[in-house]
Amino acid sequence: MQYRAKGLTVSYGARTVLRDVSFTAEAGEVTAIVGPNGSGKTTLLRTLSGEIAHSGTVTINGQDADRMHPRDRALHRAVLPQSGSIAFPFNVLELVRLGLTAGLASADPGEGDRIVMAAIAKVGLEGYGSRMVQELSGGERQRAQLARVLVQIWQPVLDGQPRWLMLDEPVSALDIRHQLTIMRLAQDYARGGGGVIAVMHDLNLTAMFADRVSLLYEGQLQRSGPPKEVLNDHDLSICYNCPVRVNTPPPGGGPWVLPQSMV
Amino acid sequence: MVAVAQMDDQPGLTGDRRGRAAALRFGLIALLILMLLLGLGWGAAGDTQVLAALGSKFGLAEASLRDTTIIWDIRMPRVLTAVLVGAALAVSGAVMQGLFRNPLADPGLVGVSAGAGFGAVAAIVLGGFLPVAVLSVVGAYLVPFAAFLGGWASTLILYAIATRGGRTSVATMLLAGIALGALTGALTGFIVYRATDDQLRDLTFWGMGSVAGATWMKLLTAGPVIALGLIAAPVLARALDALALGESVAAHLGIDTQLMKRLAILSVALSVGASVAITGGIGFVGIVVPHVLRLLQGPEHRNLLPNCAILGAIILLAADMISRTVVAPAELPIGIVTATMGGPFFLWILLKNRHILDI
Repeated sequence: MQYRAKGLTVSYGARTVLRDVSFTAEAGEVTAIVGPNGSGKTTLLRTLSGEIAHSGTVTINGQDADRMHPRDRALHRAVLPQSGSIAFPFNVLELVRLGLTAGLASADPGEGDRIVMAAIAKVGLEGYGSRMVQELSGGERQRAQLARVLVQIWQPVLDGQPRWLMLDEPVSALDIRHQLTIMRLAQDYARGGGGVIAVMHDLNLTAMFADRVSLLYEGQLQRSGPPKEVLNDHDLSICYNCPVRVNTPPPGGGPWVLPQSMV
Repeated sequence: MVAVAQMDDQPGLTGDRRGRAAALRFGLIALLILMLLLGLGWGAAGDTQVLAALGSKFGLAEASLRDTTIIWDIRMPRVLTAVLVGAALAVSGAVMQGLFRNPLADPGLVGVSAGAGFGAVAAIVLGGFLPVAVLSVVGAYLVPFAAFLGGWASTLILYAIATRGGRTSVATMLLAGIALGALTGALTGFIVYRATDDQLRDLTFWGMGSVAGATWMKLLTAGPVIALGLIAAPVLARALDALALGESVAAHLGIDTQLMKRLAILSVALSVGASVAITGGIGFVGIVVPHVLRLLQGPEHRNLLPNCAILGAIILLAADMISRTVVAPAELPIGIVTATMGGPFFLWILLKNRHILDI
């Protein structure tokens, strides 16, 4: 089962932000979208999630995403935006409970509460239920939002179909410990049979956690494949317009990116 | 707030305020019943036997003709009007605040109040120019009817301006509302400028709002329209919660945002349009009631909207009793009472909660 896009083109007015992008994410994998600022990463994620008008097609597990009812789409994929504000004094529990908006797989009324509690625990916010969202630190707020997103698609597989976790720079506001916690959580979701599509800034975290990487440059898909192939000196140096050298230190043997001096 | 929040937590489900909202609703319903009885008994006519007069209608008790007339024909429509209008204003306020994601939004933002004001003023001043045959048919309903039409026309214009390619921008609606408000204000001013002294008096009192003119006939005409708007509110609850996170997140959560925006605007235009038509402009209920309840029980609309309806009704009943009392035997327009109570109270809440309000 796949999350696919074919021939996506998106324009804001006269400016074309995505040009004929074809993209595939496989269930059971973490697919990272990387690229320099302004390369169209977030636009691609937002188009995949159904937020932006586009030409070309998007399919979720083979179904045309644009023809799905919003509620049906919400049961198949959940989206964590880059930054979010909340109006009104919601507390953490109430924010996370919003993940149940589209409804539940089971009809058991207690199920919702159990999932909400489990999600809060999973992002490490036990005991924060009554804290006001506005009073949280940036990192705590990001984790609370992630818990809300997880609640929406709690079981990675529903009726034999994978569900999709879409993350837009999920760890940019987090310290290193929480970066690892969140990325591991995303990886677990994929190992459980779901799919993860994440816009990433940090190439080393990408190398550690992604199964597949799509490299965007000026609104076009430059390369796509396993991290070892995509994260190479040549492509990264051109796309990021900055000389980089990809190394492989002993532990794990994954690629490792070190920006070089620009002079 | 935090200390109270922790007191009634269920074990494990820290921060759950649903129980508190339910308890609050129970208390508010009891208070509403008390206020209804008080509202029926309150007035210049001395000691009317409220319960006896109520029961006499159903053959349960004996009451004088004077008492039954006062209770059933004069006070009952008035009290029920206050209940219905109070509920409509408070619920519409909460719906608008949810839609605009701003605690200061007011039912008037969809243009319904400005348009209704213009309609009423036009009817009061220009109604005399209508042919006698028309006037004899519409009679006392000319002003409410014109107000309702004016409110609707202005909401429809705003909606059309703010909708492009099937998507309504609430920000455009807000800004266009300010422009349209200024325009209707100018037109209203022009008509007021041409008004006679008697008409000016009518205009002034209409703007202050009153439930004193309530009759069964008016209530039965406007009541179903107001109720129709109120019925839509529970359908909106889930969408309004999701909209707190912004329109795109609400769509991610599975909300058909365009449908819900349309429904919200329609329900507010219906219930506030009909309310303003029969009572004139009554301010502050729509802002203060939802705000107080959000502080007491949290912002989840499933619990907020019903409690707003009950508290809005209570507030307007109380304001009506005050308006009947302070300058007795005359009556103060109810809008003056709600603004006098609501203004300082609202300031006090604002100052006290500056740290949580993200305005």
